Formats: sequence, C-alpha cells, structure tokens
Amino acid sequence: MRRDLACAVSGLALALAAWLAARALPTSLLSDGVGADGVPKLLAGALAAVSLWIGTRALLRRAGAADEPAARHLRALGVAALGFAYAACAPFLGYPLALALLLGAAALYYGASARPQTALFAVAGAFVLWLVFARMLGVAMPGGLFY
Amino acid sequence: MDELALAWKALAASWAVPAAFAGVAWGIVGGALPGISPSIAMALLLPFTHGMEPVAAIVLLASVYVGAEYGGSIPAILIRTPGTNSAAATVIDGFELHRRGRGGEALGISLASGLVGGLVGLAVLVLATGPLARAALAFTAPAYFALGMLGLSAIAGLSGGSLAKGLFAGALGLMTATVGTDPVTGVARFTFDSPDLLGGIRPIVAMVGIFAVTELMVQAIEPDWVKPSGRAARLRLPDWTTWKRIARPQAIGAAIGTFEGATPGAGGTVAAFLAYDQARRWSRHPEEFGRGSIEGVAAPECANNAVTGTALVPLLGLGIPGSNSAAILLGGLLLHGLTPGPMLFVKNPEVVYGLYAGLLVANVAMLLLGLVILTPCLWLVARPKHYLMAFVFALIVSGVYAIEQSVFDVVLALGFGVLGYALRWTGVPHLPLVLGIVLGFMVESNYRRALVISGGDHAIFVQDPVSLGLLIAAALVIAFSVRREKRSSS
Repeated sequence: MRRDLACAVSGLALALAAWLAARALPTSLLSDGVGADGVPKLLAGALAAVSLWIGTRALLRRAGAADEPAARHLRALGVAALGFAYAACAPFLGYPLALALLLGAAALYYGASARPQTALFAVAGAFVLWLVFARMLGVAMPGGLFY
Repeated sequence: MDELALAWKALAASWAVPAAFAGVAWGIVGGALPGISPSIAMALLLPFTHGMEPVAAIVLLASVYVGAEYGGSIPAILIRTPGTNSAAATVIDGFELHRRGRGGEALGISLASGLVGGLVGLAVLVLATGPLARAALAFTAPAYFALGMLGLSAIAGLSGGSLAKGLFAGALGLMTATVGTDPVTGVARFTFDSPDLLGGIRPIVAMVGIFAVTELMVQAIEPDWVKPSGRAARLRLPDWTTWKRIARPQAIGAAIGTFEGATPGAGGTVAAFLAYDQARRWSRHPEEFGRGSIEGVAAPECANNAVTGTALVPLLGLGIPGSNSAAILLGGLLLHGLTPGPMLFVKNPEVVYGLYAGLLVANVAMLLLGLVILTPCLWLVARPKHYLMAFVFALIVSGVYAIEQSVFDVVLALGFGVLGYALRWTGVPHLPLVLGIVLGFMVESNYRRALVISGGDHAIFVQDPVSLGLLIAAALVIAFSVRREKRSSS
C-alpha cells in the first residue's frame, strides 16, 4: 500500500508542477488552436487522474507487499551518486583519472576489497576505455587538469 | 530481385558482416551474464554505434539481440540461473540434463533450436513487414496520430498486471516527450533556460538510464550469482535422431514465437513459457518434462529466438516498438536520423534490406560463434561481480557522453536511472514509459497538424478512413487488454 500511495502522491505533485509550468508558457503569435501548453496540460490532467486512481485503490485495498528496508534503497541510490560524482569531477580531472576513480569506487561499492588488485583493475579499465573511446573512436572525452 | 541486390549491396558496401559477428559475440556474452538482458546488452552498445554507418550500426544492434537470446541459455543450463528472462523456461529441463551429464547436448539443442527459431522469425519479418509498410504509405497526419495512439494502446498490454500503473508510466513518458521546442509554435517548453534541453530529451539517453543504470542500481542490492563449477560442458550439436525428436517442439516454438513476437508486449519470455507448455501437451513423452527432456529445451529456445525477428515487424512496418529490445533498436535508428515506419522503406531501403541480410548473417554467426564462445562465456560469468558491474558502469557513462560529448546527457541518464529504480520499487512498468517517450512527439505533432488542416475540427480523425480504422484497432486493443487484466485479477 505504501508504495502505491507514494506513487500516487508523487504523481499528483508532478502533475500539479507540470500544469503550473505549462500555464506559465508564453503564448506565441504562431499559436494553433491547441497551443504549446495544450498537450502538456492534458497530460498533467491525465497523470493526476491516474494517480488518484492508484491512490484510491491503494487505500481501499490496504494490504500490500512488505517493504524493503530503507538501507537497501540508499545502497542502490549510492550507485547513482557515484555516477553524479563522476559527472561533476570529469570536466575538472579529465576523463582517464575521473574514470579510474569511478571504476575503483564502484568496484569497492559493489563489494571488492581494498587491495592492490582493485587499484590495478581501475587503472587498467580506465586505460582500456580511454583506448576505445578516445583513440579508436576518436571521441573528444572530457578534458581537465590531467588530460 | 531488386531487394536481394539491395541487401547484397548493403552488406558488401558496409561493415555489416563483421558487425553481425561482433554483435552476436557481444550478445552471447551479455546474455550469458545474469542481470544483463538483451535490451541492456543492446543499450550498452548503442552509444558505440554513433559514429558508425547506419546499416552496420543497425545490424550490430539487431545481432546483439539474436546472440543474447542464445547466450541466456548458457547459465540457464549450466548454473540454473537464466541469463535472460526468456531463458527462464530453459532452466527447467536444461539444468536437469546438465545434472545428468548431458549439459553439452542441452547446449547444442539450445543452439540448433535457436537457429531454427531465428530463421523462421527472419522469414516472417521479411514477408510481413514490406506489405505492412506499403499499406502504411497512404497515411496522412490524422492517420499518423491514430497510428501513434495504436502504439500507445499497447501500454494496456504492457502494464504487467496493473493498467493504472501502465497508464501512469505512459503519461510520464509522454510528458517527457514534451520537453524541448514546441513542434508547431517553436516555444521552449520545460527547458529551464538550459540550451541542452532545447532539442528535447533524446530517447537513447532515457533508455540507457531506464534500462542499464536502473539494473546497475538493482545489482548493488542483489546477491551474487552462482559461479559455474569446474565441470564445464562441451557443446554437442544434435544428431539426426535428436533432430527428428525435437522437430515437433521446434515447430511449436517457432509458431508461438512468431505470433508472440509480433504482438506488442508479449515478447520472448511469454513465448518461451507458452512454447514449453504446448510442447509438453503435444509430446509423446510428456512425463520427461521437468526431468531432463530435450524437447523441453528445444521448444522455449526456438520460441525466444523466433521473437528476435518477428518483434521487428511492428517496429519496421509501423514504427511501433513492442518490446524493450525493439525500443533500443528504435533508439539506434533515431540516432542515425532514420525514422522507422513506412517511409523507411522508401527513403532508406538499403537499411531495411541490409538489416534483413545482416540478421541472416547473425543467425549463421550464432551457430559458428556458439561452438567456440562457450569457454570465454563461462570464464566471464565466473569473474567477480564487483569488477564486472564497475566496468559496465564505466562503459555506460563513457558511452552516453560519447553520443553528443555532453556531461549533461550523463547526468540525465543517471537521473532516468533513479526514476527507473523508483518506478521499479513502486511496481510501475518501464516499457510504457519508453513508449511514451518515443511516440510522444509523433502523436502530438500529428494531432496538432491534423487540427490545423481541419481548422480545429476533431471530426477529421474519424473522417479519414485509415485514421478511423486505426483508432478502432486501438480501442479494441485496450478493450482486450482490460478484459484480460480483469480475468487475471479475478
């Protein structure tokens, strides 16, 4: 039940935000009958209606699957946090170093022990991916202090 | 004959043949790794295709799909862990055969049946897609809107048991598609003054986030998979007696795979289980099922490989992806400026016929590579999960950045990964979200274009016979799906 209610509440909040943002859109002189805000408002209304449906059904049923401990979700979100940290660091540190750090941190996060093999894996992995993307494919990967 | 010449020319003039081999090899390896589904294996390669020429890129992606369906059966047979969802039915008898020392035979039957299924699926793809696309050539703006609605109506069947949640995801996807410049007036919508969002959210970035990043997050809280034992099997192709025995389950698997593949939302998993069930029903030895039946391996493997071809029929013919893997292939087409649907046959026939020929090469490659890739696959499956996941993560962030050399895209993909994880937690299916993202622009732009033509009169959608037919079909799909959901819940 908690999951469905969370889904319904976040859906309603998003629908409201989308409606308000659509209402704030400027009107163009080229505007057609529907307008730039027409479809977004319709979708916001549809999302609100479906969210209410999910919420009402959750309240009526009450029973639901047992929830997982919050620590598990935080652990899963930690993976995304590592990615965000990489995205923040890459333009400053440069691609190879930032990627090696990401590889090392991610391996540790997934359960590797802090030993030289992990560091070696991070360096070798970053080298392989740099070779593939920067050298073989010729992509201009993020530059920075060390690249 | 012209089509054959086009197919040959497309293959000869591009890197399509090496791409087919490479795609199948990566597909088998990816499929063999638990947690890497065919769509994730394809999503990981998607950014690499950016600089490739279109035919080779599309063949590469489609070949991954072909290879992954076979690859999934390797851990299913050897370690009782399906590498892909659609290999779950293969576990039942495949592992039992392996336990009795016949793992090599089971792997050979899986490979041979996969080849048969793949070729049948390809034949259906070649025969059915062209006529479907030619019929769709008569489409006007109202008809395209109605076609988009028909695609969206598939949400009802893709909702995983909760229509409300399917619609929730679909609405979210459609809202995502409204970000960027308005198709009629040019007004910037929901861009928060960021130039990165003016062009809208690229479906490929959203897909990589929703499929691959979400899976990485889930893998962080899932236990490690079982590693293969030292008693590795040697693959053994079926002899004539075995071929005769598995011909019937293969026919059943191919027929069910063909139908389920072309039906949006059904896919390889449903096809494999249905085929297993029907093969047992029509078998002369039903008592062997569950105790190590070779028919129990042949039927599901033939079915899930038939799906790899037929799942592309609605995608290529109408531009509607009916499965995760088809959605990724759609992302690949869009990445190369190709719009799937009837006009693809007119504007880029070399891509379509090159894909057909490439799929034929991929199926042959599956047979050849299947014989030699088993040992590297087992080695890879035995690697520590933490190193594998870390490398996949680095591959994703590098690949997403490479598409447009944009760190913003990396952040966006991670954001979609978090969204995908939240949706998974709340039981909201992912595919309707993806459908909304890829079909949103088509639906909105043609809806408004049609209204401009009619002067704002909505009757245009029922006056156009094609549009009316498609809208009725969409209503029927929804009614059928709602009825099915009511039945299953009762």
